[in-house]
Amino acid sequence: MTESLSFDGKQDRELGDQLRDALEGPEPELFLARMRDAVRQARSETSWDVLTRWAPVGLIAAAAAALVFWFTLGRSALPDPGTQFIASAPARMEIAPGQSEADVLLSTIMEGR
Amino acid sequence: MDRYGLAARRVARAVLGSGDDADDAVQDGMIAAWKALDRFDAGRSFRPWLMRIVANASLDLLRRRKVRRATAVPETVVSGGIPPDRAAEGALVRDRLKVALLELPERQRIAVVLFDAEGYSHAEIANILGVPEGTVRSYVFHARRALRGALSDFKEGE
Repeated sequence: MTESLSFDGKQDRELGDQLRDALEGPEPELFLARMRDAVRQARSETSWDVLTRWAPVGLIAAAAAALVFWFTLGRSALPDPGTQFIASAPARMEIAPGQSEADVLLSTIMEGR
Repeated sequence: MDRYGLAARRVARAVLGSGDDADDAVQDGMIAAWKALDRFDAGRSFRPWLMRIVANASLDLLRRRKVRRATAVPETVVSGGIPPDRAAEGALVRDRLKVALLELPERQRIAVVLFDAEGYSHAEIANILGVPEGTVRSYVFHARRALRGALSDFKEGE
């Protein structure tokens, strides 16, 4: 082993050999095989695998988005059967002027519109 | 990857000791490197780039798992005396080096292993560790001094 303690730029081959020897792990071939497998597995995880993994979350998100859309925009776009009934009520009231509560009911309905 | 796998394992073992953590760190590093391959600048050298990822994976794992420095001194070191046969002496040198390495700061370990064992230049190690070249020289100098000190018994016995 080189005894020089200067900041030299040369490698100490003897120390290097000893370090490699000390740090050599057991079963290097097995280690490399495991590493290859792990990388291969990571590599084989295609975009489809990622999509598959995220599919349930995506479906739930899509369903939630559809519900929100329905409650905000969709419902207002559709004709409301209740509104139709109320709208048609005054016409029926008007053709029955003989009933005393009809005017009150009509005005109540009209105020609500 | 095979080409660099064993060198990466040695660096990881210098940082994390000789348990399974080192192999996990190399594996994590290799997978991270593969995933980041599209960000690799083809105009630069692949080897330091890969080793930087593995070294960082090792340091990250060391912090995450709070791996304690090996305090248990191997049996062979405690028993003292240099056995007559060279194989046993080799085992003693290995054990002594492992213990001495684990007593060094992590970056010094990486620097001395990359420089003396793996043949990286100071500039490459500076790039890997993200420190100035002069700092790497200092790391190597101090690490060598400590390791040589740990092996001085064997040197005298020759």
